[in-house]
Amino acid sequence: MNHINRRTFLKNSASAGGMLLLTPYLSGSMLTSFKSAQTGYFEREFGIDDEICQMLLEKALSKGGDLADVYFEHSLENWLNLEDGKVSRSYGNVLLGVGIRTVKGDQVGYGFTQELTKESMLSAAATAASLVNESAGTVAQSLKLLKTQNYYPFDPSMVEIPLESKLPLVKAINDKCFALSNHIVKVSAGFHDSTKRILIATSDGVKAEDILPRNFLYASTVGEKDGRTEQSWYNFGGRRDFSYYTEKLTDKLAEEVIKRTEKLFEAIQPPAGEMPVVLGPGVTGILLHEAIGHGMEADFNRKKISTYSTMIGKKVAEPFVTIIDDGTNPQQLGSINVDDEGIPGQKTVLVENGVLTSYLHDKISAKHYGVEPTGNGRRQSFEHYPQPRMRNTYMLSGDANPEDVIKTAKNGIYVEDISNGQVKIGEGDFAFYVSQGRMIEDGKLTAPVKDINIMGNGPKMLENIIMVANDLELHEGGAGSCGKGGQSVPVSFGLPTCLVKSMTVGGTQQKGGAS
Amino acid sequence: MNQQMYDLCKWAKDTALNNGATDCRARMTRRRFVEIRYRDHKPEVVKEATTRGLNLNIYIGGKFSSQNTPDLRKDALESFIKKAVENTGFIEDDPYRSLPDPKYYEGRTEMDLQLSDPEHGNITAEQRHKVAKTIEQVSLDKAGDKVISVEAGMNDSEWEEVILTSNGFKGAMQTTDHWAGASVTIADEGDRKPNGYFWAGARSFEDMPSVKTIGEEAAARTLDLLGAKKIKTESLPVIIENRVAGNVLWGFLSGLYGNNIQQKRSFLADKKGKVVAGKLFTIKDDPFIKKGFGSRLYDGDGFPARKRTIVSEGRIEEFLIDWYYSRKLECEPTTGGMSNLIIPPGDKSPEALMKDLGRGIHITGFIGGNSNSATGDFSIGIIGKLFENGVPVQSVAEMNIADNHLNFWNKLSAIGNDPWKYGSWLTPSLVFDDVLVAGM
Repeated sequence: MNHINRRTFLKNSASAGGMLLLTPYLSGSMLTSFKSAQTGYFEREFGIDDEICQMLLEKALSKGGDLADVYFEHSLENWLNLEDGKVSRSYGNVLLGVGIRTVKGDQVGYGFTQELTKESMLSAAATAASLVNESAGTVAQSLKLLKTQNYYPFDPSMVEIPLESKLPLVKAINDKCFALSNHIVKVSAGFHDSTKRILIATSDGVKAEDILPRNFLYASTVGEKDGRTEQSWYNFGGRRDFSYYTEKLTDKLAEEVIKRTEKLFEAIQPPAGEMPVVLGPGVTGILLHEAIGHGMEADFNRKKISTYSTMIGKKVAEPFVTIIDDGTNPQQLGSINVDDEGIPGQKTVLVENGVLTSYLHDKISAKHYGVEPTGNGRRQSFEHYPQPRMRNTYMLSGDANPEDVIKTAKNGIYVEDISNGQVKIGEGDFAFYVSQGRMIEDGKLTAPVKDINIMGNGPKMLENIIMVANDLELHEGGAGSCGKGGQSVPVSFGLPTCLVKSMTVGGTQQKGGAS
Repeated sequence: MNQQMYDLCKWAKDTALNNGATDCRARMTRRRFVEIRYRDHKPEVVKEATTRGLNLNIYIGGKFSSQNTPDLRKDALESFIKKAVENTGFIEDDPYRSLPDPKYYEGRTEMDLQLSDPEHGNITAEQRHKVAKTIEQVSLDKAGDKVISVEAGMNDSEWEEVILTSNGFKGAMQTTDHWAGASVTIADEGDRKPNGYFWAGARSFEDMPSVKTIGEEAAARTLDLLGAKKIKTESLPVIIENRVAGNVLWGFLSGLYGNNIQQKRSFLADKKGKVVAGKLFTIKDDPFIKKGFGSRLYDGDGFPARKRTIVSEGRIEEFLIDWYYSRKLECEPTTGGMSNLIIPPGDKSPEALMKDLGRGIHITGFIGGNSNSATGDFSIGIIGKLFENGVPVQSVAEMNIADNHLNFWNKLSAIGNDPWKYGSWLTPSLVFDDVLVAGM
């Protein structure tokens, strides 16, 4: 499916059939200590030592400012694509450079360069410093390496996965899809992998390093049946080690995408208007991302332009609603060992038992509110300054059985997969696009529905969550990305089955008419 | 043509060929940009940098890969190219993959499209700060006591590219652009804080609208959002405003592309030469507009730019087919992408159109939504104003329109006289009859 580019959120497609089932709080058993072999990369490869970092930080604060940071990045990205039975194209991209930031209150000066020469880097630092014109700010005398957990351990020798290892995986998808259904007329498939190495040094003396893997295997199919053409898309991935991509996984991927295409042949357009909406478990957590997540990013709140900016400490939902934004879920796409300002990866509770508890902070907003940063300062690349951004956003399980949730809705829409969404921060109005779902008629799931936009208002929607089931799933995809202020960062989502009393469904028929 | 960039492209292309590539396309780009943002009467963001990069398309027979690097040091680049060629060897051979037949490069119109402002380099930091600062003040004044926040800014950049292929294509392009605008948030009932924006741009700094116009427009558009609510589901005429018409048009265009047609993901695949929309629906592609945001002398394949009529009075005249998919589809290529998209304007202002219609919804923004290229089904959230007796009476939000493109464009009943100036899609306001707008 082709997708409209959107300011707030875009992902290719995903599924409610996530495979990772979570209990309310994640165990720490997957965590390992950060491998020492992963530190010192920029010094080894590009001669970037503490002395150079200190020099740049001093330059960045040479005309004043509260804090400065430097952010070195070396990223390798690869795509391998199959079309018409052949793995016939590959794309590669390298990012290398440093971004230097000077902060004074809520003001940001930012310069960056792709050339890691002393002259170019100092010039970028001078650009950042040009924000202010006062006496020089203070830089800590030495840098101390931040010790972090590792939420996505992987074999460092696989920083660049050889093409010959990936090619058979992609090829297998094609054959499996055609074998599973005789309605399939086109298959495309691909593997995307990237590794991002970062080094952060801050004027308050913190140094942090990380390698962030991101990869996914995807399949897209077009089917024809009785004069109808339908397409669907699915992927598995995250911050995975290459050993994740097994033959079993290619089987699962092919089965999932074919099941979805076949279902669409029966899909109808639902009636338009207000009705109960049940969100199935998993990727439907995009609902939270749009309805509350963006509005809780603290930059919008310190500027008082979010609908949530006066609601901290207030009851916004029923007591069985708890919503988390989390950087610590093993292998999840939005997990981060350290954020892009040198703050360790962590978990932040947005709504606890129905009460709004915390915004998502970067250093600027944390200082504004007099709280600790929450590890949400993220950026797309060294070309961008950090902003408060989400990581993995999900709701904890409730007590209900999923079947009872559907029964209670009685008549409405059941959402299984969402392809994209968008929100207006100040109004709280949001929308998401349903690519897979079903009608709920008389408490039972009936005809499939597709290609409908559902509209809501964040605070109203939270109040209207009247039932939460015991089946939280986190999405197991690697393609989700969130856009804000011209920057895209990888994120993930999760949701248990839940019932929203009423939302606006954008169908093509009046309620009560033929559908 | 920038000689240094040309020399590097030539060297990179030759290095690829010397290392085993049978063909190569080298493209180098360079961009210098400055961004200033103001809020609370002080700079919120000051950002400036230069970026550059080399893209290489490597062919070994029908084996293909495309690689980008910012690291242009020759020794680093040489090992990058060697590895890129070696990796291309692992890709499967695709009989349709090649550089275009050079005969298609011929016939390029050489003219000055005036895409680069010779005065761009003279813009000072003080001028940029003044633009941002003044727009902020104008918006604050106009929005009055309802204002919560104004973020105003200016961005500008200069950009150039050089492209060379091993079968004889040479291309070079230089552009500048300047943008200024503001995003305004105001207080409404309860916790609603409507946010509106206005940004305008031009190739030349001197062609920019005045800071007064920009600041006032941003504030006025935000004030227009006050008191928005959803109304009951109803079939009504709608006017889609010029600057957002592309959000719906995009879904129609997706069916015209060669890749979607060849991959059986196009609802228009069997519709060439057929009437699929109302008489008023015409789409033209004009690459030669002076100072246009989509203007160009060659397209992505290196084919000479030319004017095209894509849809004429509802009938599909041409698909958008690049070289690769023309080979797969066994047809002549056209172009892989539009330059400046034109819908010929009508002769009435949006206000006059509203008067003609009496009652309907003036759609000024969209939210969420998507369009299925295989079926033509789309569904998208709307923001706008209900008008009655030709006058706006109520802001609306949390509402939605949905249809199939094969049905929707037949409802096009009038076109405004106001093509959007600040982008490569010059869409005027579009009127559609009898659209089901979903609300309560």
